[in-house]
Amino acid sequence: MTKILLGLFSGIAFGFVIQRVGATSADKMARAHLMMESDIPKFMLTAVIISAVGLYGLQTAGVGRTLILPTSLVATGLAAVIFGIGWGLCGYCPGTAWAAVGEGRIDAVFAFLGGLAGAAVFAHFHEYLVPVLYDPTNFGRITLVDGIPVRPVAVFLLVAVFTGAVWAVDRLWGRRDAVR
Amino acid sequence: MEKHDKTDYWNWLPASFALAGIIVFIFATFGPPASSSGFVSLLKGILQSVAPGYVGTKAHYQMLPGPDSWVFAFVLGMAIGGFIAGRTLDIPVRDVPEIWERRFGPSRIKRYAATFIGGFLILFASRMAGGCTLGLFISGSTQLAVSGLYFGVLIFAVAMLTARLVYGNTGKEGT
Repeated sequence: MTKILLGLFSGIAFGFVIQRVGATSADKMARAHLMMESDIPKFMLTAVIISAVGLYGLQTAGVGRTLILPTSLVATGLAAVIFGIGWGLCGYCPGTAWAAVGEGRIDAVFAFLGGLAGAAVFAHFHEYLVPVLYDPTNFGRITLVDGIPVRPVAVFLLVAVFTGAVWAVDRLWGRRDAVR
Repeated sequence: MEKHDKTDYWNWLPASFALAGIIVFIFATFGPPASSSGFVSLLKGILQSVAPGYVGTKAHYQMLPGPDSWVFAFVLGMAIGGFIAGRTLDIPVRDVPEIWERRFGPSRIKRYAATFIGGFLILFASRMAGGCTLGLFISGSTQLAVSGLYFGVLIFAVAMLTARLVYGNTGKEGT
């Protein structure tokens, strides 16, 4: 029960924040993809930077549980391409679509319904697709620590690269929004 | 673009701290990290009541948590959070985004068809990869997972390319 309440609380806070920063707006998301508005990508990248430092702090203190997803060269890559097409087309990702449904955007309701259909189709073909696409090129639960065994250095590298990405987005994305 | 459309949104930097605070809270309290494609647990719940035999034979549904899980409480919370945030912020909610309307006209059918297909693709892909923007890219990269970083680079690149193809120069002209 505590678990359910913690999940509910985390979800409410999460949905609230992503709505407030504008991530549930497919308009803002499309403008981000078109390099016209940099708020959302900077927000996502910076959230990773701070979370990574925070998680490192937790791990140093011996708190928290993590779950590393395996990297499958083919399945993860192919899925990312399909995901990117869907994201670019509709301007929603699964989380923002769902929070946008709560916000009352009807197009998000259709993204949600499409999502249920997509998940159902994948689930149906799971037994055929996973052995073909996922398993053969599965490198397992690899992280940067496998390449750079000193964890603080690996965290620092991630922070440095992501900070560079935020800077690049800030420079490269046109500042077309007249009003900030 | 109307003025009110922009100014009322939070600045990205404090918002990043807020989101990161929630993510770290999740790692500290529950972890397995957050995943928003967890709303497919609903699918499992529905199918379980309609066709329990089918669900029982499908490996994917065995992997998915049901509606009585942390992940489903989390996604339910996301919708509630979106609702509260939407009700307390004076930003007009549109069913057809402005940039879409400039490119494809005001037809709701066209927009809904596109988001249905888009939704299909993102969830199909999320199930294939094992997570989405949050579950795989954000949660994964935070844990230094190669899968999250690899997924992240590709989804941004492909989405940007797709948006170019979908919108052409529409965005630029209208602003």
